[in-house]
Amino acid sequence: MLKKTFKRGIHPKQHRGSKRPTQDAPIENYVSDSVVIHMAMNIGTPATPCVKKGDQVKIGQVIGTANGFMSVPVHASISGEVTAVEPIPYLGEGNVTAVTIKNDFYDTWVDDLKPLGSVENVDPALVIPAIRDAGITGMGGASFPTHVKLTFKEGAVCDTIIVNGAECETHLTADHRLMLENSVRIVDGLRAVMRALNVEKGIIAIEDNKPDAIAAMERAAFGRVGVRVQVLKAKYPQGGEKQLITAVTGRQVPAGKLPIDAHVVVLNVGTCAAIADAIIDGKPLVSRICTVTGCVKEPKNLRIPIGTIVEDMIGACGGFSEEPGKIFFGGAMTGIAIPNIQTPTAKSTNGVVVFNEKDAKSLDESACIRCGRCVAACPVGLNPYKIKVAADASDFAAAEKLHVMDCMLCGSCAYMCPARRWLTPSFRFAKDKITAERRAAARKAAAEKGGNDK
Amino acid sequence: MIIVYAGLLLGILGLIFGGVLTFASKKFHVEVDERVGQIKDCLGGANCGACGYAGCDAFAQAVVDGKAPVNGCAPAGAKGIEKISRIMGVEAPEGERLVARVLCQGESGIALDRYEYDGYKSCAVAAGLAGGPKACRFACIGLGDCQDKCKFDAIRMENGIAHIDPDKCTACGACVNACPRSVISLMPVSQSVIVRCRNTDTARAARAVCMDACIGCGRCKKQCQYDAIIVENGLARIDNEKCTRCGECAAVCPCKCIVIE
Repeated sequence: MLKKTFKRGIHPKQHRGSKRPTQDAPIENYVSDSVVIHMAMNIGTPATPCVKKGDQVKIGQVIGTANGFMSVPVHASISGEVTAVEPIPYLGEGNVTAVTIKNDFYDTWVDDLKPLGSVENVDPALVIPAIRDAGITGMGGASFPTHVKLTFKEGAVCDTIIVNGAECETHLTADHRLMLENSVRIVDGLRAVMRALNVEKGIIAIEDNKPDAIAAMERAAFGRVGVRVQVLKAKYPQGGEKQLITAVTGRQVPAGKLPIDAHVVVLNVGTCAAIADAIIDGKPLVSRICTVTGCVKEPKNLRIPIGTIVEDMIGACGGFSEEPGKIFFGGAMTGIAIPNIQTPTAKSTNGVVVFNEKDAKSLDESACIRCGRCVAACPVGLNPYKIKVAADASDFAAAEKLHVMDCMLCGSCAYMCPARRWLTPSFRFAKDKITAERRAAARKAAAEKGGNDK
Repeated sequence: MIIVYAGLLLGILGLIFGGVLTFASKKFHVEVDERVGQIKDCLGGANCGACGYAGCDAFAQAVVDGKAPVNGCAPAGAKGIEKISRIMGVEAPEGERLVARVLCQGESGIALDRYEYDGYKSCAVAAGLAGGPKACRFACIGLGDCQDKCKFDAIRMENGIAHIDPDKCTACGACVNACPRSVISLMPVSQSVIVRCRNTDTARAARAVCMDACIGCGRCKKQCQYDAIIVENGLARIDNEKCTRCGECAAVCPCKCIVIE
């Protein structure tokens, strides 16, 4: 079969072989003594906690209710007693409210699970509400609420659903193992969404460095009408939503638009499996697969209750093998460093990667030598070196003109830069600033409009 | 012989162009107010933009046009403002010189770290990562965003916090705008007794993150004979009007967060 790909992009050679320790390690279940479940699991409005200290909760019980459309409920991932409901500092600015649950190890599920039956017979109108009530967010890392992705505005047409099994990020093998061990569930989830949206084409896209996963998914998709597997070349960032669409369908998503404008919806393999669980078993999203690798004694793929603390996960992998320098959520390219090992995992945590002190050391940046390697690497086709100049001068208007908002922060430019320029962090900052400015302007406009109405 | 022709030709050309230029300078003469140049000489000359104009030239023009106040340039200082007022023929406005002060003493070792930050050297970026590298949410982050913005070389980073040289500071306010935590504020230069902390958390929480945090105990308030200290939200504040700079509050402060400059 013809292997497809997108233009530009990179091969992170420094991390060659980083998936090797865990790609053949079967998924192990791990349950810890306690979990800390925070309420800001999804992009958009955080949930409101609806339990208090001392309450007994069961697995799958709603502990945080959704606030509006851009929000999903949060469920208890273990059964036991709520020991604290308090704000904790998390990865971003400011605190988030978190619920701490102490495990009673009875593993009791809530009584009122509502399975919708098999994916062949499910009522299409019930699928998207079921996805929302199950608290499903994008499990590839961005944690965008899935029901929002599947709800289009009037007139939008979707003709293809792509399941993202590329897993181009270094170190991570969570999706790879899921495709091997739970391939039927992924196809079921895809079919449920195809039925709900009345779409006839479902494509499972996998990079060619995972031949066993391709074989497993082809077996699972065999005989399923409209579902097929597409092999892609292994290249970073092949799993980026817009790159994947270009590679698989040949369509381009316009700047500043969503995949639906190219008539496509992209779902992660983990999301698809979670959708199948929600429809067939009626179970909400309470656990996920997370790769723990790097400087740990036994790198593993763990299925953890959401909210498991990093320290417990590293303990389950035999502890650190070297003095740790930095710990990431996610892979080496797009991962976010965590402040301490007490940090809890979230619905989007697909990996915990530990770097030793030597690898974690960041190098000082030097002047740009205008070699243009960043331009050659950028999968979006931007001019990273120019945007960096504008962003460093706090000239966000100029950065916006250079399309910094289309940057997806994949880190390809910074990886290739021989002058070790800190390109991606300054783009992230510029994007945050511009988003904040736009929000403030929108709020001001809304306030003025409201004032005129009165 | 050729050299003579060449010399003659160039000489004639020179005369013609000279004539054209003389005519043009008379014909197209633009009246420029000589005060613009004089005022520009009195300004800070850093093109810092703190006045709200594009640069020193634009500000000088605005003063002459009557659009900008004569004391609009903070870096010009009292002397500069007096000179500008004299050029414009108005009374120099009264007003004390301001100076930027860092309201934090959380040096590394005194303020606890939340985590070791090893990333992009920018306070604004670090402030957005897990609540900032210092455990105190009010503390100076110490990566030098203010230092980068200072045009007068008045800020130096030492031991993880910013220090401002009051002699070099012109109160242009660039650092105040650059600081993501609003740790820097402009104060009259005579206000020499300062509460160098902004932590409004409870005493226990404040003490847990910084040795030098104001815990709002109120000892300074009791000690003050002039009723110049107000303790609100667990933080002491000094009323500049009432303060006599006696310094007794600084002597009794158990956290050493009141300082005499």
